[in-house]
Amino acid sequence: MGGLLNLVLKRLGLGLITLLVVSILIFFAVELLPGDTAEQILGQGATEETVAALREQLGLNRPWYVRYLDWLSGAVVGDFGVSALSGEPVMDVIGGRFVNTLFLAAYAAVLAVPLAITLGVIVALLRNTVFDRVANVLTLTSISSPEFFLGYILILFLAVKNPFFPAIASLSDGMSLGELLNRTFLPALTLVLVVTAHMMRMTRAAIINLLASPYIEMARLKGVSPWRVIVRHALPNAWAPIINVVALNLAYLITGVVLVEVVFVYPGIGQALVDAVAKRNFPVVQAASLIFAATFILLNLAADVGAILTNPRLRHPK
Amino acid sequence: MMFFVIGYYVFLLLASVVLSLFNQTKWFRMVFALFLVSIIVGIVGGAPALRAIAIFAALLATAAALSFAFKEFLILIVRPNLAKELRTAPLTASFGIFIIFTYAIAGTFAPWIAPYGQAEVIAGAFAPADANMLLGADQLGRDVFSRIIYGARNSVGLALISTLGAFILGALAGLLAAVKGGWFDQFMGRVADIIMSVPSLIFALLMLSIFGTKSWVIVLVVAIIYSPRVFRLTRAVAGNIVVMDYIEAAKLRGEGDWYLIRREILPNSTAPLIAEFGLEFVFVFLLIAGLSFLGLGIQPPTADWGSMVRENATLISFGDITPLIPAAAIALLTVSVNFVVDWMLWRSSGLKEK
Repeated sequence: MGGLLNLVLKRLGLGLITLLVVSILIFFAVELLPGDTAEQILGQGATEETVAALREQLGLNRPWYVRYLDWLSGAVVGDFGVSALSGEPVMDVIGGRFVNTLFLAAYAAVLAVPLAITLGVIVALLRNTVFDRVANVLTLTSISSPEFFLGYILILFLAVKNPFFPAIASLSDGMSLGELLNRTFLPALTLVLVVTAHMMRMTRAAIINLLASPYIEMARLKGVSPWRVIVRHALPNAWAPIINVVALNLAYLITGVVLVEVVFVYPGIGQALVDAVAKRNFPVVQAASLIFAATFILLNLAADVGAILTNPRLRHPK
Repeated sequence: MMFFVIGYYVFLLLASVVLSLFNQTKWFRMVFALFLVSIIVGIVGGAPALRAIAIFAALLATAAALSFAFKEFLILIVRPNLAKELRTAPLTASFGIFIIFTYAIAGTFAPWIAPYGQAEVIAGAFAPADANMLLGADQLGRDVFSRIIYGARNSVGLALISTLGAFILGALAGLLAAVKGGWFDQFMGRVADIIMSVPSLIFALLMLSIFGTKSWVIVLVVAIIYSPRVFRLTRAVAGNIVVMDYIEAAKLRGEGDWYLIRREILPNSTAPLIAEFGLEFVFVFLLIAGLSFLGLGIQPPTADWGSMVRENATLISFGDITPLIPAAAIALLTVSVNFVVDWMLWRSSGLKEK
């Protein structure tokens, strides 16, 4: 077991280093810009003295490495400095929104994961039939469509022509869970459509890859029914790739969520990021980018660790 | 209305009878299943629902007929060995090829095909479609149809250049890494890991917010974001070739790295790279469309599909489909490319298990 722990720790360390490099990238990309936050807050009409005073107050006149370390140590405890537009702490701007985004992603994941795995197993069983072909075309279409296309189609048919669900996902405090789920159903469904298609195809591929193995051939020769071959023989060995696929798609949800939030005017962190980019509010851009990147790296890490844990062959590298 | 409903059921029933007479079991099953489903749908949704099914089926049939005819046409004009491959291609693949050709023609000859200029204001804002304007006017009174045609040139062109950039960058790095090995290989691998560990849309948003949205910046940023995928594939494919005996022989002849890459490795790794080019194009195109949907792509008044969706988005709440048209144009192209790539991958992969 010591080797296993070692392997996981090594992977965690690698993830941490990646995150560090990414944070440097995010910090210094903004540094390349002419001007700084102090000039931006005060605007064009500010005098030299007021800018210098604010710079002093925000600590912008210190050397870059001090500011980077300061920013990074703040980021670890959730303090990303102040917004360049309003002067309020960045965390107040995006903290609540991040929770909303996580809620939306979790909602989509809860719907998508069981659906995708079940459908994936079914199409693997019915491979090379008309049903499989149709599923192939449909999933390819869903993957290749931009998220906003799916989102607007859903709005057109499920909100405008047949008003089942609200087209705009506005949230307010004290909403009941049922109301919340109803309000956020269309954005969640958009994400579900994209992610399910991905996961379904990968589940199908994972199972069909296994079907070529000799032990499956053996099971078939014994006269085991096709359904049993898949569920009892192929599926247990397919879990590792499937877990990997699920984690990768959850990571994908995190980025897909940006476009969906904009389409449905959902108060999440993606929308905040897009707004901040448009207004060149860099402290918020940095914070949101770092949060997105960290979540993404974390989920990829989970995928790798999951793969190591479920695959004995990876545990004992030659 | 009554005639339509009766005709609909009679047609399906007759079709299934004819199919079963000619022993087309597979098709009979499909048509008869559609008949049974239609009865339920007809009771629940009434005639409009049946009409929707009929329109959808007719569209599907037209697309299938078009793909079939186009496939036969292609088989006639291409070289014999390619024709043999095409004969086994599924209809989706020939449909994809057809759409790609159409887009290529629309993009190349945009100024001659489009009835109006892309920035030309010809009517009132949101004017409805008429004989002059096939798809109506947008929020400034420009012809949507003309802008869609120009978009085939601008949006697809930008995505194509970015994909080429990503490809040249990634493939060159991958080939060099495979040939040189050692620390260079390790270093490039780590760089690729880091670029891939940042979500692409977030990376692009960050970079474009800093460097602005000039076209060459978009091309460069997108090329860098998507080059690691190409790098990994090229590295893997070339890594398998580098250990071959004929590479050893070339090295002993005293050939340089560049000769090895150009004359020995590249010709032997084109097949997977071409399929990857298609996939990469889809990713790049979707990213650029997403960026311009967010207002960070090609800047107005240049026609671009992503920003056309955003500009007309408010119309959707009135049940108008104008914003869906450019979005559908994007989806149609990416789906088509995927259909073709899917066929190419299927031909070369082990997923043929029966």
